[in-house]
Amino acid sequence: MRTAAPPLPGPVTWFVRVLAAFVRRELVAMSGYRAAFATRLAGFAFVVVGLVFFARFVGASANPHMAAYGGNYLGFVAIGFLATELQQVGIAGLARRVRTSQIMGTLEAELATPAPAWMVLGGAPVYEFGTAALRSALYLWAATVFVGLELPRANMLTVVVAVPLVLAAFIGLGLLTAGSTMLVRRTNPVSAILGSLSFFVSGVVYPVSVLPGWLQRAGSVLPLTHVLVVLRGAFLMGASPAAVSGSLTALAVFAAVLIPLGAATFAYALRRARVDGSLTHY
Amino acid sequence: MTVASAVPASPVVTVENLGKVFRPPGGTRELLRGRLWRDPVRALEDVSFTVAPGEIVCMMGPNGAGKSTLARILGGLLVPSSGRATIAGHDAAAGAPALRRSVSFVVGDERSFHYGVSGRENLRFFAALHGMGAAAIRRRTDELLERVGLAAAADRRYREYSRGMRQRLAVARGLLGDPEVLLLDEPTLGLDPVGARDLRVFLRDDMIRAAGRTAIVCSNDPTEARALADRVLFLEGGRLTREVSPDRIEAELGL
Repeated sequence: MRTAAPPLPGPVTWFVRVLAAFVRRELVAMSGYRAAFATRLAGFAFVVVGLVFFARFVGASANPHMAAYGGNYLGFVAIGFLATELQQVGIAGLARRVRTSQIMGTLEAELATPAPAWMVLGGAPVYEFGTAALRSALYLWAATVFVGLELPRANMLTVVVAVPLVLAAFIGLGLLTAGSTMLVRRTNPVSAILGSLSFFVSGVVYPVSVLPGWLQRAGSVLPLTHVLVVLRGAFLMGASPAAVSGSLTALAVFAAVLIPLGAATFAYALRRARVDGSLTHY
Repeated sequence: MTVASAVPASPVVTVENLGKVFRPPGGTRELLRGRLWRDPVRALEDVSFTVAPGEIVCMMGPNGAGKSTLARILGGLLVPSSGRATIAGHDAAAGAPALRRSVSFVVGDERSFHYGVSGRENLRFFAALHGMGAAAIRRRTDELLERVGLAAAADRRYREYSRGMRQRLAVARGLLGDPEVLLLDEPTLGLDPVGARDLRVFLRDDMIRAAGRTAIVCSNDPTEARALADRVLFLEGGRLTREVSPDRIEAELGL
């Protein structure tokens, strides 16, 4: 016979359990794909080694634009790539999660459980974001140990202050793109455009000082620009939170605007999907 | 047509004048004609019925009759365009967690599990979505794997499971939250005759009757309806057209 159902946990406990379930499942699945993991690691190693030689080449020319970063081009470009990867995970993680689950067919079964939809859909990107942040930290550490990246002046207080703001701004962007992906029912071109635009005007591989003034101003409306100012300031120049307060404030504003806007868009898209049945179709 | 349960008990499932219209988004052709949407598709129209506690009702009909749409509405996955459905007193349109605790939607779709992890890990994942803690997850998944006969194969990867094992795992998943009502969408689809028969007996005797559950089975297989159902309702073109007793299905279908 059936038994009396136990009470449901509170939303925070429940979400932590859902998140733990995603982490566990992904780790178990990943352990079965060791070759893919090794390939990814090898790919990263090739990129880093390539950057080392590129940095030597650029460094040898004593570029005046690099003076503001202590002439440390390897550190400059490594932080540029890591921040870009974090942004891409933030922008595309949730949207990709929706698409992949639709295509794999797991989404309907997950949404049929008592867990609220935001929990089901939020668990995987939070996992992806968490692992991306952890991976970035590991990459930086590996680059200092194995390829001679020097970060002697890193100001960890600024890093600690900046990381929650960076994550919040990118999560807000992610909610916005995921919501619009669900509404238009196809992979959202906004994430691709935003990714390439940010690469172009935020200064991922070159300082924004090489750009004309109007492009620099255009870049200031993108979160990645401020993320790079803060992280490069903290890691390469030992900047205190006060020294990069302008960009920290900009990131706080991005988070304050993008998270409610993204959450509202996402909630509307979820409601629409339950009306037209599109959440479980592809 | 309104079909009421013959069992004199307050119904656990109530469906009143339920309708569902889909408005598919338009493609290039529609846009060139200045329209954003294709012609609406009426999937359900004015469907009413009740199901008493402990009953097994089979919803039959040809492909595209609206069976799966009805099941998804009752499972809280789709919002109806008109009418109302309640399960154990919960409004299906709200799709609240309380509704999805009372009803379990058992999809036969084998893509609904993660292929790269074991049956046990898949079940543990879904148990967490039910809000269970680690100890409860272990206890419940072990118990269910035993009951559906998968204990010995629990640690094999899902991709290595046979079709019958996958169906059994789907049933185990449906029972995680110990629901009052089971919605079974084509539960034996693709199984060989013996495997299908065994699964039907298991579902009817162990998972529904012995547990005092109510079930709605969507199928277009007369054998399935006869083996499982107390009543059979026919959906055709989104409308409920008739009710027949399970032993009259073949005659009704002219088979």
